Amino acid sequence: MKIKLFLQIIISLLSFPLVPFRVRRRESGSFKFQNSILSLCLFWVALFFFVIKPLAFAEEKIPVFPSTPVEAYTIYASLAVFWLAIIGLIVIIKMKLNEIDRIQKLGIDKEDNEAPLLD
Amino acid sequence: MIWPKFKDWIDERYDIAELKKLAKSKLIPQHRYDFLYYTGGITLFLFILQFITGMLLAFYYIPHIDFAYESIIDIVTKINMGWFFRSLHHWGAQLCIVFVFIHLFGTLLVKSYRKPRELLWVTGFILLVISIFFGLSGYLMLWDERAFAAVRVATGGAGALPFVGSFIKIFLRGGVDVSGDTLTRFYAFHVSILPLLSLLLIGLHLLFVQYHGMSTPVSLEKKEHKEEPFFPNVFYKDMMIWLVVLGVVVTLAILLPPEIGKKANALAPPPEGIKPEWYFLFLLETLKLFPGIIWGFNGETIAIVCVSIGIFFFFLIPFLDRKSSRGEKSPIFTIIAVVYLLYFITMTLVGFLS
Repeated sequence: MKIKLFLQIIISLLSFPLVPFRVRRRESGSFKFQNSILSLCLFWVALFFFVIKPLAFAEEKIPVFPSTPVEAYTIYASLAVFWLAIIGLIVIIKMKLNEIDRIQKLGIDKEDNEAPLLD
Repeated sequence: MIWPKFKDWIDERYDIAELKKLAKSKLIPQHRYDFLYYTGGITLFLFILQFITGMLLAFYYIPHIDFAYESIIDIVTKINMGWFFRSLHHWGAQLCIVFVFIHLFGTLLVKSYRKPRELLWVTGFILLVISIFFGLSGYLMLWDERAFAAVRVATGGAGALPFVGSFIKIFLRGGVDVSGDTLTRFYAFHVSILPLLSLLLIGLHLLFVQYHGMSTPVSLEKKEHKEEPFFPNVFYKDMMIWLVVLGVVVTLAILLPPEIGKKANALAPPPEGIKPEWYFLFLLETLKLFPGIIWGFNGETIAIVCVSIGIFFFFLIPFLDRKSSRGEKSPIFTIIAVVYLLYFITMTLVGFLS
């Protein structure tokens, strides 16, 4: 996207009518005149295609995400914290699960019906 | 101090210890396909998420032809975190349908539908249809040109059914064409009729699961396999998976918020390259396979009839597969399941890439 924009700016600048005049000072008068007409046409075509057209015919996009950099930064930072919290919770649940497995393997989670009652 | 008192208060009135005992007595088989058990839980979790985000959106949405589109823009641009909840609702719906399909095809491939679980299949299948209709009705709520065209095509397709087609089309549209009446009807379906039906069916589905217990694949039924209690082992595993799914939905909602197109205009031509939601693509591509006229009959009607027969056969599989109900292997129905799955994936991909 940035490369495209850069190329558009370069083409627009190069096609500006004053540029050929300065570059081609040594050319004859008729050539200068033809070049100026040509470069003027090129400039207006470039201006139309790269500047006026996108502005005039651009579809108005509705912003579906906060557009300010501060808001975007806050959202992405919150997302990172959210994932850290999820990973933390998963680790805690996994530790709990390992403990449950260990107790179940030992068999101490089951009720012993023959155990003497303590008053 | 309050918690023990509250616990005692509950214990005096309800037998919580008995409920815990019941949860611990429920055993889940452990085998190489046991990951499929979690797909149902994920779907349930996503349904709950949809209910919550849907209720939040309903506070601000206006189901009227003149204000629906504007109210969505207000939700996205003016309401605090509105864009996030709309995006969460959108991605929750997409993932919910993905997991409904995974759950369905998983059930089909391991033949969990076999006797005595036919009603589980029936309730699950109706829930799939409801989920798709949820998607279609929710899509129109946006009232942009894409949603408008998609609903026009979908209801028009239903209208191609012989005998009952025109009735279904007019009933869904609330008139001859998609209009404000359609929006009102779809809103009623989306926020009251379908949630009520789905709650009822989810309740029934869970009740049947508890009643029959978890099924094991035919190939592993006679072999010895380990079992683990639902509570706390599987419950905690469910929690971990649900957390990951929540993380994925939130990430998608932030990174890929759904776009809003131009406002719907009944007189404007449909936008170029329009496609329905991904779960309708296989239907659309199937319809494209049929020519306009077949032996003097309308090709679209024949296509819709063929698709309906295919779906009806799919629905009847538990009642037709006698071998697996006797506990024997039934390779024919495995092949049929694979063919259905491959067809669905291929046609969806073709529709997506074309």
